[in-house]
Amino acid sequence: MRNLKLFKLGSIGLLPLWLGLFTLLPTLLVAVVSFLRRDETGLIALAPTFDNYARLLDPIYLKVFGHSLWMAGVATLLSLAAAYPFAYLLSRVRPAWRPVLLTLVVVPFWTNSLVRIYAIRSLLAAKGAMNDVLLALGLIHEPVRLLYTDTAVTLGLVYVLLPFMILPIYSSFEKLDQKLIEAASDLGADRLDTFWHVIVPLTAPGIAAGSLLVFLPALGMFYVTDVLGGARDLLIGNFLKDQFLDARDWPFGAAASLIIIALLFLLLELYVLSRRWLNPGERLDA
Amino acid sequence: MRSLKTFYLWLVYSFLYLPMAMLAAYSFNASKYGARWEGPTFEWYRDLANDSALLEATLNSLAVAFVAATLSTLVGTLGAIGLWHYRFPGQTFLQGLLFVTLMSPDIVMGVSLLVLFMALRVRLGFWSLLLAHVSFCLPFVTVTVLSRLNDFDRRLIEAAQDLGAGEGRAVWHVVLPLALPAIAAGWLLSFTLSLDDVVVSFFVTGPTFEVLPLRIYSMVRLGVKPEVNALATLLFIVSLGLVSVSQRLLRKEQP
Amino acid sequence: MRKGHLGIFVLFLYVLTTFVYAEPPEVRFFNWSDYLPEELLERFTAETGIRVRYSTYDSNEAMYAKIKLLQGKGYDLAMPSTYYVDKMRKEGLLHPLDKAKLPGFKNLDPRRLDQPFDPGNVYSIPYLWGTTGIAVNVHRIDPAKVQAWADLWRPEFRRGLLLPNDMREVFFVGLRTLGYSGNSTDPRHLREAYEKLRQLMPNVRLFNSDSPQMLYVTGEVDAGMIWNGNAYRAHQEDPNLRYVYPEEGCLLWMDNLVIPKGAEHLANAHKLIDFLLRPEIGKLIAEKLAYASPNAEAVKLIDPKLRNDPVIYPPDEWLRNGEYTIDVGAAITLYAEYWERLKAGE
Repeated sequence: MRNLKLFKLGSIGLLPLWLGLFTLLPTLLVAVVSFLRRDETGLIALAPTFDNYARLLDPIYLKVFGHSLWMAGVATLLSLAAAYPFAYLLSRVRPAWRPVLLTLVVVPFWTNSLVRIYAIRSLLAAKGAMNDVLLALGLIHEPVRLLYTDTAVTLGLVYVLLPFMILPIYSSFEKLDQKLIEAASDLGADRLDTFWHVIVPLTAPGIAAGSLLVFLPALGMFYVTDVLGGARDLLIGNFLKDQFLDARDWPFGAAASLIIIALLFLLLELYVLSRRWLNPGERLDA
Repeated sequence: MRSLKTFYLWLVYSFLYLPMAMLAAYSFNASKYGARWEGPTFEWYRDLANDSALLEATLNSLAVAFVAATLSTLVGTLGAIGLWHYRFPGQTFLQGLLFVTLMSPDIVMGVSLLVLFMALRVRLGFWSLLLAHVSFCLPFVTVTVLSRLNDFDRRLIEAAQDLGAGEGRAVWHVVLPLALPAIAAGWLLSFTLSLDDVVVSFFVTGPTFEVLPLRIYSMVRLGVKPEVNALATLLFIVSLGLVSVSQRLLRKEQP
Repeated sequence: MRKGHLGIFVLFLYVLTTFVYAEPPEVRFFNWSDYLPEELLERFTAETGIRVRYSTYDSNEAMYAKIKLLQGKGYDLAMPSTYYVDKMRKEGLLHPLDKAKLPGFKNLDPRRLDQPFDPGNVYSIPYLWGTTGIAVNVHRIDPAKVQAWADLWRPEFRRGLLLPNDMREVFFVGLRTLGYSGNSTDPRHLREAYEKLRQLMPNVRLFNSDSPQMLYVTGEVDAGMIWNGNAYRAHQEDPNLRYVYPEEGCLLWMDNLVIPKGAEHLANAHKLIDFLLRPEIGKLIAEKLAYASPNAEAVKLIDPKLRNDPVIYPPDEWLRNGEYTIDVGAAITLYAEYWERLKAGE
């Protein structure tokens, strides 16, 4: 009997305890720090201020944020464009092959992402494979410089994050009832109509989940810009890293971090709302 | 039309795999920089085997990944059972919190945990890294196990209890075996997440404890050594193996 | 969960963590990336049994921030440049060296000792010194066009330059091109230098301090700033790469071994410093990295080809208008602000 109580206590209490200590508490601390002043010697001075948020409105930081959101957005759209037809085709492949093909999508996701970014760098280098191929084909006569550009960073983000887009979309295609599509065409809908009015809404949860899983991490992957980016391609991740580990302006970094958390909540709220709207009556499991 | 479809599938797979395949090919290429083939060599693999700092970082990473995966599987599975089996106040909030933690970008987590460890005067090293890794693996395990549990009929437990099993026994002997594939998959997922993490580790580890991804980070930034190609190839093979195992685990229980 | 299982699990965790923590004597060394032949560390371990935990950084600022973050209780040895020795010394972040434990100190060239940034070398031991100048790939660019810092602004270098990820070095160029001191603390000068550097930005392909010579050798950039030893090594790989001492004057620097206050392995840190001070070790370092050694005994052993190369050991008249970077005190925040703006592309 005591064991049972212990079990109940553990199964109900341990998880909230952990999350409270290592998720809630740190977030609260960041929130507090963001309203304090920086201190040259001791990191943080216990003086309340709104300066950190005011500073974020400086055009230069707005530009960094805007650029970062733009890059993450482009990466998300490109991933979506590549993943959507792919996931559809994958869900239509003969069932016997599907497990293997699906595993092949998962493998890159399990492979160290730095190593994969490094692969992209080797591919795009001035003396890399891409240039060699172009030179061999006679399309160019001097190596072109592909690295250290916005394009390289975007490509890197798509390369690392594409599986995150494919998997949720694939699973919503898998659940898609073929009969609904047949019914639509029986009712006289043409292919485009069926696509926009039946297929897209039904796979929307997958699209939304995939987009979140690409967009949010893309904001923070500082190592992608470090390895592939040029002089100015800053992501919010690089900005946070600089504030915390170089410039030592923790309150300012904390304010930026809190903005991202706010953005996260906004996007998740939109996600939950859109699912409710598309699929009334569905219970949302975390 | 059909061939076009096949072509598209091939195109995306090539995009995913060609760059890695290229690194694997480079890893046997005697040439130091370029893509030009200068004959086969195992030199870079030998260098790798002799890089003691890299080996140490690998061992450190394996140790952290193992302990973090085990701890998060333990806490996560317990938590999932709690969420599934009991009703308690704050349950919706807890589920929401799990969801948010699951989606929150690594960079935010890294920064917040750094602030926490500094506030609590936790020294950055093995322990801070372990706590951080458990924290980001935990929601993945919980969600994986919970979604498996949600597939079960709750009456299973009642039936077991009707047959005279206590509640604890019912959970231990009925629920756990059924959820085992999901638990194992959660462990494997945590293990890889921990091995792969760059962003959080960058913030919360100290000089006493270097891990593989950070070592790779400094190698990649220097970008001089073809050793990296060899290392990439090895890591790729490892993940291929791990994924096969985990896919098999998850598939078995599907009808 | 059964008690037995839990016990075994705890035991297992314990064994695993003690495996992770049971360690031979060690010393933790925080160094610039690509700034020490790592085989020397293995040699040191083989000789003394002391294991070296080696990690790297790419800017003085990152090193300083990390040391302050860990409150000294992390690294036993670090390698700030002159002006950071000065700053850290004044802020009480450094541990005074015990010269009795450093018999190799006598090998050092007196001309490199007792400098204003650390009078009497109480806290620091010079490791290597060098200059920052211009690298140019003569295969792509006519070297006659690149004789001065001001030439970097030429429109034909668009997106072709590499600059170090180092705010003081980059602002040095801006300030010197305008005729000011590279160590100016005058807000007006800094403002002008920032405006000047902004005009340089369209030419800048990237900032990198990790492995500049690689980027020149692999053809990613045509010209830019570089440290002389790096340039020398790049020239070995690709003879088209040349080093230029700019007309306005090069930047002079020296990096120094220091022990952060709070270091936990003081004796081992001294042993490692003394190891690095040995003439034959100093020679290996200087030959491998191709920077100038402040170790007079080591210089005597260096391959004459390198020792007589003016790029690395420049004649005095080349250095006449050169300038050492010194601590700029509170003006550093202004530098940092402009640097942030510059990198954000404002």
